[in-house]
Amino acid sequence: MLWIGVHLPALSLESFVATLAPERPTEAPIVGDLDDVDPVDLVGPVALIEHHRIVAANAAAREGGVKVGQKRATALALAPQTRLGEADPARDEAALMAVAHVLMGFTPAVSFGGDHVVLAEVQASLRYFGGLPRLLQRLRAELVPLGHALRVACAPTAQGAQWMALVRDEPETTPVGSKAGWHARVGAVPVARMAAAAPHLAALEALGLATAADLWKQPRAGLTRRFGGELLADIDRALGECPDPRTALQPSPTFDSRLELFMRADDSAALLTGAAVLLNRLTAWATAHHGLVAGFELRLHHESLRKMRDDPASRSTMLEIGLGEPVADTAHLHSLLRERLQRLPLAASVIELSLHCRSITPGAPRNTELFPSAASAGEGWQRLLERFEARLGTHNIQRLQPVADHRPELATAVRQGGEPLPARTRAPGAPLNLPTPAGPASTASGDPAHWPRLKRPVWLLREPQPLRDEGGTPLLSGKPLWLVAGPERIESGWWDGAYAARDYFIAQDHEGALLWIYRFRRAPEVGEVGWYLQGRFG
Amino acid sequence: MSSPSSLLPLEHLHPALWRAHQLGRGRDAVHASGYAALDAELPGGGWPQRAITELLLAGTGWGEMRLLAPVLARVGAAGRGVLLLGPPAEPCAEALAQLGLALARCVVIRGDDLLWPLEQALRSGQVGAVVAWAPPRLKGEALRRLQLAAQSHEGPAFVVRPASVATQPSPAPLRLLLSGAGPDAMAVRLVKRRGPALEQPVLLALPPVLSRAARQRALTPRRTRTHVQALSALA
Repeated sequence: MLWIGVHLPALSLESFVATLAPERPTEAPIVGDLDDVDPVDLVGPVALIEHHRIVAANAAAREGGVKVGQKRATALALAPQTRLGEADPARDEAALMAVAHVLMGFTPAVSFGGDHVVLAEVQASLRYFGGLPRLLQRLRAELVPLGHALRVACAPTAQGAQWMALVRDEPETTPVGSKAGWHARVGAVPVARMAAAAPHLAALEALGLATAADLWKQPRAGLTRRFGGELLADIDRALGECPDPRTALQPSPTFDSRLELFMRADDSAALLTGAAVLLNRLTAWATAHHGLVAGFELRLHHESLRKMRDDPASRSTMLEIGLGEPVADTAHLHSLLRERLQRLPLAASVIELSLHCRSITPGAPRNTELFPSAASAGEGWQRLLERFEARLGTHNIQRLQPVADHRPELATAVRQGGEPLPARTRAPGAPLNLPTPAGPASTASGDPAHWPRLKRPVWLLREPQPLRDEGGTPLLSGKPLWLVAGPERIESGWWDGAYAARDYFIAQDHEGALLWIYRFRRAPEVGEVGWYLQGRFG
Repeated sequence: MSSPSSLLPLEHLHPALWRAHQLGRGRDAVHASGYAALDAELPGGGWPQRAITELLLAGTGWGEMRLLAPVLARVGAAGRGVLLLGPPAEPCAEALAQLGLALARCVVIRGDDLLWPLEQALRSGQVGAVVAWAPPRLKGEALRRLQLAAQSHEGPAFVVRPASVATQPSPAPLRLLLSGAGPDAMAVRLVKRRGPALEQPVLLALPPVLSRAARQRALTPRRTRTHVQALSALA
């Protein structure tokens, strides 16, 4: 058994800070690489309160004199510019769940250890990921987008991993060699880190019991009588002398996550900062399912205005984003969302975001390629179309498909959206997937003048344009048209109510352009338009 | 002793260099237009890539799609996408398929703001060929942006504009004025190219719409024939 414990020492602060846009203090420019800077320290002084007492403060706030345990009023008097947020266990749990989801990408045996520790049993995954050092490296890399400070530790038992993660950061990548070595490491764990010892810390200190080793040297019966059995049981579990079954977490079948924004968001940039947190959680959830996101819904909850009170529907705006090709790539989802948000008029400021996803498709993420091939270019093309769809709307992205119908207005099926054409499965009545005509495609290199004759004009008018008629000669904008070929009779559609019986001619206008015009087969009534323009040979 | 410059022709110094009476060659690959007469006059011998090509057209229906069909067909056959932005009418799928376009990789984009998708498409480098019908009033600044974006576009990019802008300056390195020259034929005037000015338009025979007999009919002087005669001739 090999357990990894991931401790998030600043989880509460980080989950709060994630919704704030970073601000740089002008008087203290940040020296060095931005990557080295903790995101918690980028937003200025921030502290969390619970029951009017400070429970966490970042470095900038601590510099101002804010300390954990202070009263809210004291903290504000010392550092008035400190931003105070309410501690929220639900928010912390959502952030912790995202970390657990990422770990589920490595092993199915993931559980919460308490005190913001996530435990994962990775013994069975070591070979697949190429050994423990590589696995840990990859684990840290995949946790980077979530933006948490991490303490990672490895241990042969779950309880041991929990304590090691709480105590120190450096993971012991070499498995513990001997039982004695492991006993020594567990023995050094201070009692202050043990959850079961929390109610008895003062008594333990008075007795001079500071570490786990001090505890197990004492008579068991006495300790159990004074402090309960849990303390020693935890030590036994850490040492591996007592079974420690953990229930593995299961990723929820649908994804629901919400995020309360500390600042009201009035523009798309502020919304995107918050949405990025949710998108990272979404991709973490998709990782846990080993799946790809095929679409999601983002709901923007507005602050309540008086005019909205009558209409509950206007209190939130729903954005639905569907993907032609499922992805597990936060950057792409982010860019799609940006296009949508940029052209979305906001009815009011947004105070909360919630993201919902139930469309997930199984499949591992695509391998990245050393040299881009035609296939990877195709993927980029698909993503480009998705971005167009997100910005311009599905109805503005059209694909054409020929339909087996003689009536020109029905011979082209327009499919909206950028999804690639489905495979050749044809339901009755569905558009034909005509094979590419043998002629031009194969002779595309030959002389175009000898291509087979073009049967239909490239451009069709949406509505046939009635032409003025002068003694049987059609006129287009006052100039006569000359018939040069035809007639081609199209008579079809008596069964579906759009009966057409027309004689088509190819006509030439006074400048030499070729047009496609028709007249009805039956003779026109007096005063009725005889000729119609249907298309142009582009 | 002759000077080194006389030993080495000047234009061999650098591929981007050409003499005023020669055609530019360019460093990039070109896409053959499919018309030998046109390729002979285009710098490099075909439609340029990484640059926009302006097609100046008096109206719709002069054979512009038939002119572009060979290159669009070849791009589609190579498995790359073809984008038609803001076409002037409804494209007919059957006609496009007959012209050899791969409809599965052909996408039509509509909408009011077409400059944004056009620029994104050119910049992404993922599109095989782009044909855009430019909005009537296109600012020079927008064209410069497009020309800049096109530098990462590996394929031909055509912007169709009205013939009236032929006299206005444009950053596009290649500008062609298209006009009809009788049935199934087209006259291409090279308004701007990297090379000497060409006075005579290039006459091209387009993929035919008319049969040989119909073309003869279209070519005969019209004044002598009334419409009734034409109809009876057709019948």
